[in-house]
Formats: sequence, structure tokens, C-alpha cells
Amino acid sequence: MKKIIALALVLSMVFALVGCTAGESKKEEDGKTVLTMWCIATESDANRPAYEKAIAEFEKAHPDITIQWEAFENESYKTKIKAAMSDPETLPDIFFTWSGAFLGDFANAGNVYPLDEAYKPFADKLPEVMLSNATYNGKHYAVPLTYNIVGLFANMDLLAQVGWDHVPETYEDLTACCDALLAANIIPFGCAGKENWCVTEYLEPIIEKTIGYEAMTQIMLGKQTWNDPGIQSAVDTFQDMIKKGYFDPAGAALGNDEVKANFLAGQTAFYQNGTWNCGEVNDASFKSAVALFPVMDSSKATYGQVIGGPSDSLAVAASSKNAEIAAQAAFELGQSICHYAYLIGSGLPAWTPDYDTSEVKPLVNDAAAIVAASDGMVLFGDTIMSADPANTYLSYVAQVYGCEIDGAGFIAGLAKDLQ
Amino acid sequence: MNRMYSNKLHILIFILPALLLFCAILIAPIGASAYFSLFDWNGFGEKTYIGFSNYKELFTSDAIGFLKALRNSLLLAALSVCLQLPLALALALALGKKIKGERLFLSVYFMPVLISTVVIGQLWLKIYNPTYGVLNVFLRAIGLESWAKIWLGDKATALGAVLVPTLWQYVGYHMLLLYAGVKSVPPELREAAMLDGASDAQVNRYIVLPYIKPIIKISVIFAVTGSLKSFDMIYVLTNGGPLHATEVPSTLMINMLFLRNRYGMGSTIAILLIILCFLFALIISAIFKEED
Amino acid sequence: MRNNSKSAQVAIYIGLILWLLVNLFPIYWMFTFSLKSNAEIFGENVIGLPKEWLWSNYASALGTGKMGLYFLNSAIVAVSTIAITLSVALMGTFALTRLIWKQKKTLNKFFMLGLTIPIHASIVPVYVTLSRLHMLNTRWALIIPYSAFSLSMAILVCTGFMNEIPRDLDEAACIDGCSVWGIFFRIIVPLMKPAVATVGIYTFLQCWNELMFANIFISKTALKTLPVGVQALSGQYTTEWGPIGAALVLATFPTLFIYMFLSKKIQESFIAGAIKG
Repeated sequence: MKKIIALALVLSMVFALVGCTAGESKKEEDGKTVLTMWCIATESDANRPAYEKAIAEFEKAHPDITIQWEAFENESYKTKIKAAMSDPETLPDIFFTWSGAFLGDFANAGNVYPLDEAYKPFADKLPEVMLSNATYNGKHYAVPLTYNIVGLFANMDLLAQVGWDHVPETYEDLTACCDALLAANIIPFGCAGKENWCVTEYLEPIIEKTIGYEAMTQIMLGKQTWNDPGIQSAVDTFQDMIKKGYFDPAGAALGNDEVKANFLAGQTAFYQNGTWNCGEVNDASFKSAVALFPVMDSSKATYGQVIGGPSDSLAVAASSKNAEIAAQAAFELGQSICHYAYLIGSGLPAWTPDYDTSEVKPLVNDAAAIVAASDGMVLFGDTIMSADPANTYLSYVAQVYGCEIDGAGFIAGLAKDLQ
Repeated sequence: MNRMYSNKLHILIFILPALLLFCAILIAPIGASAYFSLFDWNGFGEKTYIGFSNYKELFTSDAIGFLKALRNSLLLAALSVCLQLPLALALALALGKKIKGERLFLSVYFMPVLISTVVIGQLWLKIYNPTYGVLNVFLRAIGLESWAKIWLGDKATALGAVLVPTLWQYVGYHMLLLYAGVKSVPPELREAAMLDGASDAQVNRYIVLPYIKPIIKISVIFAVTGSLKSFDMIYVLTNGGPLHATEVPSTLMINMLFLRNRYGMGSTIAILLIILCFLFALIISAIFKEED
Repeated sequence: MRNNSKSAQVAIYIGLILWLLVNLFPIYWMFTFSLKSNAEIFGENVIGLPKEWLWSNYASALGTGKMGLYFLNSAIVAVSTIAITLSVALMGTFALTRLIWKQKKTLNKFFMLGLTIPIHASIVPVYVTLSRLHMLNTRWALIIPYSAFSLSMAILVCTGFMNEIPRDLDEAACIDGCSVWGIFFRIIVPLMKPAVATVGIYTFLQCWNELMFANIFISKTALKTLPVGVQALSGQYTTEWGPIGAALVLATFPTLFIYMFLSKKIQESFIAGAIKG
């Protein structure tokens, strides 16, 4: 009998515990509209303060709206958002997304709310070209936050040690600089082998600087074959750098955060990654600079061609009960997240700044200047391609970094698997 | 009493909660997966019926690498049976003969089983760290500089590096199962054999092992199906990388479901995984039966 | 004692102690690096005791890492799962062993299918089912699936225990005028006490570890469990090992501590499962 009482006690305790959390209603409490939002601005994310400020401001300006937001780690977020797409009822009102094919799949399935109406009042602050990556069948589906390109970050203190006062602008200079660094026992580059997108941050600029941005866009969009001698030679260039020992071998087992930390701690001289790192690199203890990868074939490419574009965005779920309010909120939040991210240096602005930009960090300004002067742009490969081909592409890129296949194997394999 | 025990209503009430829970969460979703495995579907858009094409592609496509993933998990299963279980058995036999400190050994050996796999994974991630990990630091300290490797980043060592903690964690589990068996051998049997002049090894071979065969069978089934199901440790340590060197069917499945938007293919892997686990359980049972 | 058995004895001890160290060292190392600064972990003092005991690592793990909350969540989920698994399995086993009907053998085999089904194989359909039942983002989203996946093992163990209870007891109770419910609650359940501990341990091992369901079915920070929390924290402190170590210790030591006090009982119950199963 005692056992039964104990069991009953445990059970009732359990039900009470579960009940009190399940009982929380998210729907309108005392007339307030509650908007739920998912994003990837976790507490360690450089964008976190931008989200916090933007949401606080929004709630202040709209006392009748509460934003309930949750942040998830990047990789687990991809899993979460796709699981939620399988039952749109479980989507939050507003969600973070990458534009390009990632959002396109969701939009084509009818799970995303079109934003054309809500966009109209913001048209003068947000150039329509910024929405092009999130436009499918003529409709706009997401609010861009920041704009980013791949930058070549350099530790100028280390470069000075081997006699360089600027970032090398030709490939000959770059190899000479790397050889000098190696001779001085300094590792030139760090690249995270555990995260394939980090490898593309190195490979894609080399490809672009070899075949030019027009040809590269055509290939990425699947309109031209991967079987291109230029791509083969770009891959061989990259592997040549790896074989010469320009890349930290330990990088193969590390994630991006660890590789970035090594660069910020002065252990590698260069780090090629997105301009969302500008703020952190700017605040490092050494003198830093941002530049672009040098031109490989000047008959096809110019120095000012870049990889990147607006990708980080907010979208609204078609299943949202307050879709119109959420759409309005997405634009307002997008604008102010963009504003604060620009000031922190965790991204360049997709929105035209209408505020005091004198506080912007020098390195961020340099990156913005590079974008302003750019003469051609290709969006990140894994953003252009839809999920399945993008992952096939990433797995070939990983094989390149691991020197499993050479340039010939890369173009033959991709031409076969991504017809 | 028999009439009372045959009352249909009582039977229904007693069995219903279990049946409901079991069918709603295990059986129905598997039915759904079997159905979806016949479609080309990204999980949220339009479905296209394609028959068994997913199954065919899975076994023929090098790009997916299912056979390689399967080989990895079969290797894990084989090592589990050939290394982990014999070690567990040796420990169980040693502890089964009233040795001093039996309790202490037993308690410590079981400890890793109680630690969350994610915690063990994170811990081994630190142990394997190429620059600061305790393994490489140790190798350098004893002058074996050249043995220090990028354990989880090198295709040649990654699989081995993932297998070690996976096998290590569950030695205690099997040890305790087998220990239970060893302890249940009636002392008279053991003593009689000893009187006949049998050595320890002979006692173990001819008395203990045959006696605990049912438990060994359970252990083997758990070890093999557990290896086929393994996911958490690999997910934490390498997530299938580098270059798919440590890919197993479950990491591949998650990859298909959530990264490649190939829901149909992910379901196909799920179904094959279930069939395999079931098949192996049957085969192992059959092998043990045959020996009798 | 024969001569060779002495040296054999020594060899056995050496082996046992070696394996003891292999099991203890990672735990020791985890504990020491949870109290060190990066400088100590990365070179000055890799395996020694910390020179300076940095308790601030624990403050980070408990503060930013919210390990306390996650531990509590995991504990609530585990206790609830055990309670539900046990109640459902006891009832089910009663029907499968005591009650008289034709298909019970088949059904028992049907339940045993669950022993080999990988938990990840049905993740999306389970997600959709839970969402239809409005259980996502509540603790039920974990408790229900974990209970379902622990059910087969629980029935297996309970069957072993229940078969050992003599049927004469049922007869006697029946003659005394007990109903089926009376027999179940007054006779069977109290005698199943040892099964409670055994099922508890097996269920605990199943649900304490689980990462994938916990990651996908729960979005609210307030409800996240330990494996998800540890994984998230390691993403936040990739380069600072101290707080990660502290989180690992916080996730592990309470369980180990309880285990130290109850190790005999826990082992006996675990063993009972093996024999009865």
C-alpha cells in the first residue's frame, strides 16, 4: 500500500510539474499580441547585442506587442527549422533564415508569407536589389539584415615581422609573403575542416579570381557545366597552397570558432572568412587589415570581384495568425538589427544608414569601402544551390581540402553529380 | 479466478495504455516512414511517388556512401563483439571469484555507463584536441612526437578515434551483465570441478561459460544492435566527418532529413536500419540456438 | 593454492587496476581542468591538480550555461519517464502474464520488437504526432517518446519478475473476494518492488543521454535538458575550456555522487534485470 501511495505521489508531482509548463498560453494575454521568433543569435554570437537592442526598442515603440524569442546554435537551428517546416503549425511567427535556395524551398512549399505589401513603406530605406536573393516567382519573401562578403583578414603585426606593410595584392606577392612567414615559423592560414562552408570561404574567391564572376554565377546556377578548366586550375592553386604548408594542419579537426580564435590570438597571419568578423578582428590586440584574394587570371577577373551578398534575413511564416503584424515587425526589427550589427561590426548594412555612422569601426568601414568599389559579385555557393546539390558540392569541397581529389577530380565529379 | 482473468474488458484496460503508447510513438511513425520512403519528397513541399528508387539509389550511389556508412557501423559491431565483450567477460570472470576490492572495481567500471554520452563525447573531444589535448601532450612528453596525430581530423585515424570512447563507455555495462551471470553459477558446480583438479581456466571454460550462455547472447544482441544504432557519440565527435570517414547510417539519415532536404531518402535509411537491427537480433539468436 | 595461481593472481590485479585507471583518469582530468585557466590546461600544468582553483568557471557554467536549470529539467523528465514507463509496463505485463487470452504470446513478441528499433528512426513522424497533440515545447514532448522507447525493456524485465510471483497468491486473494484491480494493486504491485528499481535504472540510462529528440522537440530555454545544454555551452565556449569542464562536471557528478551511495543497490537491480530478462 505504501508503494502505491508513493507512486501516486510521484505521479501527481510529475503531472503538476508538467501541467504548469504546458499550461502557459502564448496567445494574446491582456490584449497584447505575442509574436514568437527564432534566430541564431545565441549568447556567444557577435550579433546578440544587436538583436537584444532591436527587440527592446521595438517593444518600447509597440507596447501592445511582445516578442518571445529563442536563439539556437547554428547547426541545430537548421535541423529545427526543417523539422518545423514538416508541420507549419509549429513554426514561429518570425524566423531567421538564409536567403537563396535555403528559403526558396520553404517559399515554394507555401510555408512563407510574402512581404511585398509590407515592403512598400520601407522601399526608400531598403533598396529593392537587396531583396533579390529572397525573391521567388516575383514575390519578396524575406527582410535582409546584413550584407557580407568574404574578406581576407590579415594580422599586420605578423606581416610586419617578415617585412610586409600591406596585404599582398598579387598571387606572387602572396606566396612570397607566405614563404617568408613559414620561414619565420608563423603559420599563414587557418581553415576549419570540421565545417565545410569555411573551406568554401577560401575556395570560392580563388575560383572567382580565376574564371571571373559572370562565368562562376552561370556555373553555380547550373546553367553552365562544372567541367571548366579554369575551376580545375583554381582548385589546383588552392591545393598547391595546402601542400606548401600554408594552412595550419590542426585546422582539419577544428571548428570555425577555434580557428578564428587562433587567428585572433595571433597564431596565424591570415584568416579568410565573412565580413561579419570585422568587429571582432578590429578589436583584436594586433593591427589588422581586410582585403581580397588576389587575381589569378587577369584576362577574366578583376581584383574588385567579390563573393557574398545579403543572405542573413528574417522571414514570416505563412501559418502565422498575425502574419500582417509579424511582417511589419520583421521589417522594423530587420532595420534596427542591421543598424546595430553595423555599429558592432558583425555585418555590413543591407539597409541604407540613416543614422550617425561616425562610430563605425575602422575595419568595418574598410570592408564597406571594398563593397562600394566592387565590380562584380557571386553569392555564397551553398546559398545559391538548393539543399541537396549544395551538400554534394560541400562534400566535394571537403575532399579538395583533404587532398582526396585534385582539380580534375573536382570538376569531373561535380559535372557528373550536379547535371 | 480464470473467469475473472478472462474478462475482455479487464484485459483491454490493462493492455491498452502500453499498446497505445507503443503504437502511437513507435509503430505508427515507422509505418509513416515506410510510406514516405517510396517518395521523392523534401519534407514539406510536393511529394512524388517513385517506388523503390530511393532504395536502389541508396545502394548504388557513391555520392551518398551508404554502404561505407554501413561498413563503419558493422566494423563497430564487430569490434564490439571481438574486443569490448571479451574485455567485459574477462573483467567479469576476474571479479566473479571473490577478489579483494570487488565492490570498488565493480562500481568504478560501471561509472562511464552513467555519464551522458554527450558529456563523454565532449570530454574526448578535449582529450583528442590536436594542440592541447592530453593525448598528444602525453605522446610528446614521452618523446613519441611523431605519434601525435590530428586524431579526429585525419581520415586515417578518425574512425579509430571515434571507436575508442564508444567501446570504452559500455564495457562496464556488459561487464555487469556478465558478472551477474558469473555470480549465478552455483558454487557446488565450481567446487566439484575444482575437486576434480580443474584449473581456473578450465573451470571458466567448461563450467562458467556454458552456464552464462543466455546472458552472453543478450550481451551480443545489445552490442550489435547498439552499434548499428550508435549516433550521439559520433554526432558529438565528428558528425560523420572528415570526408565521411566516420559516417554511420544514423548520421547519414539525419544528414538526409535535415541538411539535404531529402526526407524520402532519410526515411529509407530509417527503414533499412530497423530491418538490419531486427535481422541481426534474429541471426544472433539463431547462432546461439544452433550451438546448443 | 598452486604455485602458478599466485602469479596469475598478481597479473589479474594488475589488469584490474589498469582498467580502473583507464576509467578514473578521464573523470579526474575533467574535474581538474574544470578548475583551471586556459594557460594551465594548455601547457603549464596539463594533468596536475590546479594551482589556482578557479571556481569562477563554475559560476559561468551555472550562470551563462544554466547547467542548474538543465539538470533539474533532465531530472524531472527522467523521473516522470520512469513513473509512466513503470505504471504502463506493470499494467501491460499483468495482462501479458496473468490474464488469459489468445493473442498474448504474439503481442508479447510484438512489444519485444521495440528493443531493436533505433530511437532516431522515427524522428519526424513523432514530431508531427506530438505537434498534433499540442505537446511540442512541453515536457511531455520528451516524456512520452522516452516512455514509449523504454517500454519494451520495462515489459521484458517486469515479465521476468512477475512470473516469479506464485499464482497461488492470486487464487487466495480471489477466494477472499478480491477483484482483478484488488489483486493487481494489493498483491502484485507491492511484490514488484525490486522491478521498480531495475526498470528505473534501465529507463534512466535510456533517457538521461538522449540528444536528438531533446534538441528538436524543445525550443524553450526553460525546458531544455542536460545533453542539449552541454552541447550548446560547448558551442559558446569553444576556446575557453574551463567553463566547459565545469559544465561537464556539473552534468556528471551529481549522478555519480548518488551512485556512490547506492552503488550496491543499483548494481543489484541492474543485475536482476539481466537475470530476469
